[in-house]
Amino acid sequence: MATARKLQGGELSEAEAIERAKQGDADAFQTLYNLHKRRVYSLCLRMTANTAEAEDLTQEAFLQLFRKIGTFRGESAFSTWLHRMSVNVVLMRLRKKNLPVVPLDDPLETEEETTKKEPGAADPLLTGSVDRLRIQRAVESLPPGYRTIFVLHDVEGYEHNEIAELVGCSIGNSKSQLHKARMKLRDILKTSRAEKAKTP
Amino acid sequence: MKTINRRSVKLALIVVVSAGATLVAGETKKEFRFTVRPGSTVSIVNPYGPISLKPAVGNQVLVTVTLHSDKVEVSHEQSGKRVELRSQLLPGADQTSGIAEYAVFIPSTTNVNLHANTGPLRVEKLHGDVIVEAVSALVEVRDINNVHVHIKTMNGPITLSNIHQGHVEVTSISGDVNLNSVSGPLVQVNSSSGKIRYDGDFGAGGDYSLTSHTGDIDAVAPAEAPIDVTAQTVRGKVDSDFDLEAKRIVPRDDNNKSSFLGKAWSLVKLRSFSGKIHLRKR
Amino acid sequence: MTCKEFQEVLPDIIDGGQTVEQESHWKACRECSDLASELTLVSQQAKILRGGDEPSPRVWNSIEIALRAEGLIRQPAAAFTLVPSPAPRWRMGWLVPLTATFLLTLGVVDYYLASKPADQVAVVQPASSTKPVDDDDAQMLEAVSMKTPAMRAAYEANLQDVNAYIRDAEASARNNPADEEAQESLMEAYSQKNMVYEMAFDRSLR
Repeated sequence: MATARKLQGGELSEAEAIERAKQGDADAFQTLYNLHKRRVYSLCLRMTANTAEAEDLTQEAFLQLFRKIGTFRGESAFSTWLHRMSVNVVLMRLRKKNLPVVPLDDPLETEEETTKKEPGAADPLLTGSVDRLRIQRAVESLPPGYRTIFVLHDVEGYEHNEIAELVGCSIGNSKSQLHKARMKLRDILKTSRAEKAKTP
Repeated sequence: MKTINRRSVKLALIVVVSAGATLVAGETKKEFRFTVRPGSTVSIVNPYGPISLKPAVGNQVLVTVTLHSDKVEVSHEQSGKRVELRSQLLPGADQTSGIAEYAVFIPSTTNVNLHANTGPLRVEKLHGDVIVEAVSALVEVRDINNVHVHIKTMNGPITLSNIHQGHVEVTSISGDVNLNSVSGPLVQVNSSSGKIRYDGDFGAGGDYSLTSHTGDIDAVAPAEAPIDVTAQTVRGKVDSDFDLEAKRIVPRDDNNKSSFLGKAWSLVKLRSFSGKIHLRKR
Repeated sequence: MTCKEFQEVLPDIIDGGQTVEQESHWKACRECSDLASELTLVSQQAKILRGGDEPSPRVWNSIEIALRAEGLIRQPAAAFTLVPSPAPRWRMGWLVPLTATFLLTLGVVDYYLASKPADQVAVVQPASSTKPVDDDDAQMLEAVSMKTPAMRAAYEANLQDVNAYIRDAEASARNNPADEEAQESLMEAYSQKNMVYEMAFDRSLR
């Protein structure tokens, strides 16, 4: 078997890496891993809010993908395939932990409550850019079901019909949970901004 | 001025000698502190030597490392929510000279990740995930609730005590595994030749799976425990105080767990290829 | 359009377009406008979380070990490496003759033991004195000897254990191809061997 050669002046392209990985080339596997590790890991981390678990899931997602790489025919983008697999791996883990993948209802909250305004001074508007760390912390503090929908839609760009198929809910449910997630995040970010403003 | 200086020097000498008295010649002690946020992970890689983790109040991780010789050093790194400590073996280090003893106090919500060859490793009273991989280390984890506990050893014995409401996954090739008062939605133990002992209530409507190749499986549970037990062996023997033949017909709820008289039933699966399976009523 | 009606369709407005009526309410109602702007900001800012973090090197290490153990990484024959490629022998096809040999040996041993009184049955030698099953295991043990010589005996003994587990599990799966439990046992046996290799090549414990 010929040893995989790198392109002059650069690494293997994704397509070449896929073909060589099918032949068992170690460099090719590593190339594919390096190309996609950040995206997969970030997804796992956003959805689980736990670094150790996110690493476990990243490992599992890549292993599942690499085991099936012989069947990849290029009908869809490799990254799409990997991404879907990663989402499924995370959702299976959430189900295994008996955590609600999608909360069907939240008895602690109603639509009226989410738009309730506190009496007194007007609420300062949430404007400008939100720094990465603040939004990361805010997302981590969301309940798992809300976090899943928010990460899949607003962070990773899935459409509601795709989310509904992935998590096993209706499109309407996906939309309403996303709205609630955004409302909660808005409240968290406004609170943290207000607290920061108070700090000397 | 001279008198003060002499006294200061004497005091300094006394302090130094006292501090050094607890260390054997050649040993050095190092201390590290890290400020962490909730949900952080502390990862320790220590080929030789014990690691002990206990909870502390506040948001600081305090690590005291006793190095047994100059053939081992400690490197550390903090990045985001991750703190990593690693014992680096220098040329000429072996399993005696390379020993580093870790005493760690961490905020209880911190996740823990330990890698070791010899240990022993002890973790107690935490509320963060506990992941341990050890070759021959004795592993003891106790008083942990509602988190993931994942332990892997090759032949190190494992003892889990008072672990509840979390996911427990244990694998040991030939180390014995002892579970005392361990319950939760998932408790899974896999062994090849090590013995598996369970003494608890198989509670919480969980899935319990104790599997071995040649190791014996000994389980003790309350007589009235709501458990649906299957015991399988290819070449071994099954000895059970519980009725393994009776079929239970109860409705299953949406989470696919049975419930009977308001109590969630647990599914208990005991499987050994050629070991003996004993299931006794307490 | 009332505020309640507007807020009910706010998710669709943020993600898609808006009708003339919705646009007109957005412009006219300060409260709904603020809410819509804030939720839009939250949605847009979320994208900065995409792909920003990196897993520790341990993750690739574990993946590589698993790929080698499962035979998905196959090194060229000419390349020297301390990390073996054990998989061809792990696949069912390769193990048919091995399993058959094992079962035949087992049958002979069983017959021998059954024909002897118990006190005349020889004690089986400890695993550490038996040779490893294949060259890949030998190479792995050699790597352990170089890395952590004090651990070699432990690895060898446990390797014998898991190899015996695999043999038994394969035999059981072959005899009961429809039995899911037998398949599960086989996967578990492989998983344990994978764990031994993973620990052996865990670079973090050098």
